[in-house]
Amino acid sequence: MKDADSIKKTMPSSKPPSLTVFQNPFEEFESFQCQKQEIPLDRMVQTAEAVMDQIRLGYEKLLEEEAKELVWMVQYNTIIKAYEVAEKYVKEIDYSAEDIEDFCFALENTQKIPYLIPGPAGIYISALCNYAKEEEIALKLSELKTEINLIGFRLPKGKRLTVEGDTGDFTGIGLEGGEMIVEGNAKNWTGAGMRSGKILVKKNIGLHTGEWMMGGEIYVGGRIRGIGNIVEGKVYEREKLVYPGKARYPNLYY
Amino acid sequence: MSEKNWSIQGKPDTPTFTISDSEEEKRLQALIEEMWPRLRKKHLYPEIPIPKIRKVNENGEEGEEKANANEQRVGLEMKEKQMTINPTFLSSLKGKMSEESLIEALLDHGITHYTFCPWDFQTHLMLYAEAKKVMGDKESAKQAANYFIDVIADTHCVKKRATEIPELHRNLKKGAVEAVIASLYQKIWGIDLGVSLTKKGNDEIVRRLARIPYLDRTRWPESIRKFARSIKPLLILQQKEQESRGGKGDSNPQGEHDLNHYSYEEIDEGLRDYARKTMGLSEFKEVVEDFAAELKEVGYGIEGGMGRGRGASIDADILFYMKLAENYSIPVKKIPLEKSGVLHPHSHTPWEIGMPYQDIDLWTSFGKIMPGITQTWKKKEGKGRGKTEGTPDCLIIIDSSGSMINPRKSLSYAVLGAACATNAYLRNHAQVAVYNFSDAPMGGREILNYTENREEIYRALCKYFGGGTALDLDDIMPLIYQKKDLDLFIITDMKITNLETLIGFFGKIQNRVTAVHIGENPYASRFEKAVEKRKNITIFTVKKKEDIPHIVLGSIREYFNPIQKNQ
Repeated sequence: MKDADSIKKTMPSSKPPSLTVFQNPFEEFESFQCQKQEIPLDRMVQTAEAVMDQIRLGYEKLLEEEAKELVWMVQYNTIIKAYEVAEKYVKEIDYSAEDIEDFCFALENTQKIPYLIPGPAGIYISALCNYAKEEEIALKLSELKTEINLIGFRLPKGKRLTVEGDTGDFTGIGLEGGEMIVEGNAKNWTGAGMRSGKILVKKNIGLHTGEWMMGGEIYVGGRIRGIGNIVEGKVYEREKLVYPGKARYPNLYY
Repeated sequence: MSEKNWSIQGKPDTPTFTISDSEEEKRLQALIEEMWPRLRKKHLYPEIPIPKIRKVNENGEEGEEKANANEQRVGLEMKEKQMTINPTFLSSLKGKMSEESLIEALLDHGITHYTFCPWDFQTHLMLYAEAKKVMGDKESAKQAANYFIDVIADTHCVKKRATEIPELHRNLKKGAVEAVIASLYQKIWGIDLGVSLTKKGNDEIVRRLARIPYLDRTRWPESIRKFARSIKPLLILQQKEQESRGGKGDSNPQGEHDLNHYSYEEIDEGLRDYARKTMGLSEFKEVVEDFAAELKEVGYGIEGGMGRGRGASIDADILFYMKLAENYSIPVKKIPLEKSGVLHPHSHTPWEIGMPYQDIDLWTSFGKIMPGITQTWKKKEGKGRGKTEGTPDCLIIIDSSGSMINPRKSLSYAVLGAACATNAYLRNHAQVAVYNFSDAPMGGREILNYTENREEIYRALCKYFGGGTALDLDDIMPLIYQKKDLDLFIITDMKITNLETLIGFFGKIQNRVTAVHIGENPYASRFEKAVEKRKNITIFTVKKKEDIPHIVLGSIREYFNPIQKNQ
């Protein structure tokens, strides 16, 4: 009897089943709101993007100017002229040292920047470094496939530019009292025409090193492939003074 | 994969142990079951099984002390989408966070790995490969990729979901790298996590890291390079400290990882996608070799199954062509085979009692079932030509002379084309034989008899001899004459010394022949002219080697499908 009662209790009621109302399984999403919180990262990324656009625009304008010269020759006048144009655009931008590094990598991204012309690009980067707010600028360019030429052009006194990776030709030319450190190798004509300041190349350096330099010091951690016609200044190779000192013919391989 | 890669972990400030018996685990499991529907809804119903509660110790085989340390450190483990929460970790944070908040934070993190970053194995490989370009060595690259993946997952969660992840980070004890990462979180989330950086230079790292668009999936390759570049000095320092403490100690668990989190199918798919995306043998090889131990662990080994079962070392070259070829699909037009093997009604015979009813021919039996009157069909195995179709076996003749690309040095489109053809035939249950030759009469040849073993075929295709180019028909004849229906597929530059012999041979056979040659040269023209009237031979000329896979694939389709060709 007890069992029968319990069975009775568990039996479904004898009432006719009411019509089942089918519910839309997605109904609950009508009220569901996915949280989309604004976080500081969004603003930081947007700001960085905006600055990069400005830097890119300046570079494109410089290219437009320089494209008038069909062949971009590394000559005193050409460099000065290009630098003046670069200065004009760079002065208008509020950027940081990280933006310069980002720009260096953006140069290799052909979707963003169609042309990488080594000369104007180097001049533009130099202008960016010279007008940056920071006194110390570190550019981590080890993975950059292109070696940037003319980097460190006219680096002023009080600025310290460190490049992780190799640099191209004409590194630190016309240095104006700044300190430039290259963690890797530098190519030919490094420190050409520099007036004062220091260049430290941790590995090897190419030909015509310090050509027509008027002052300052060049330190090379590895080997110097050739020294240029130096007017005044000092060149060290593995902590040993090689100029002035025992005369060595310019650009002599050894 | 390290716990770091897929799990929230950290050293709790005060490792206080509570009783962690089965009752406690049952209670926690019940709590998870209660929370799970809400969490699933929050993450838009991911296809993940309900998380479990179980003690997690990834270094169980090591010493007891280490095992205990790991037990406290690992909060969440994810293996093949099964998330497991470590009760010891939960108890160690008792009093700092409620259990529910802690579990929710851990699961939010774990689910986001599945729903956002890295999402799949191919993305994981890509992130690792990009990190390695910057870091140089395998371990640091894995670490950098792990940190990057975690930052993305947590940031995504904080931005898009209501989560307790910040609270969790506030309560975890941090090493040097974790402190920088936590400082980064403070900066990019705008939430105080109680971290202040003391070391000089770390501020600069955080500043650099804070500029990375973590949530922009399309920019992850460049983002991880930037991330790795910024964090590199810290990781190097950490590695040195570990080494000085006696190697890779488990006191810094971020360095370990395995591929347990992915299923076989995900790894298969990931490798295939990665091969297609990179199209570079060296890049693929490098990644596969870096993950060799883990891939072997999950069943990848060339011997005894490239995909299942343990085996010898992974042949990354063969795996590359295998995975790359899987991206292409060549339809093979079946041909009528001479013997169908099907029984067909042949003649009548009087029906007798005991004979099957189903074969009775009603029309000739006058509707009666009576011995002597009723007729039954006598069946014979017929030559059902035109009725049943099949795919013939294929003999692939591949040139590996000096003028061809070495498939183990760079991507050989000849091998890729042959691999695609192999897949097409194998997929249709046909067998494939390989004749890989350079200067065959001088011994420069590899002959593989008809087989369905994909790995053996690929190994034969990838063999490279270099040197001269000469066919030896005596090698090929036995392979051809042992099959009645056979397709031939030849890839060569046609600079074959005994080309006339080959032309003469092709002039005699009736098999379908697909010949692919590279570039224009007098030999190719001679071959083309000689066989131009042969309907069964189709020749494809490619001027650029890179055109081979496309032209071969397209043309094969055309060749095998005459209707399409006519259209």
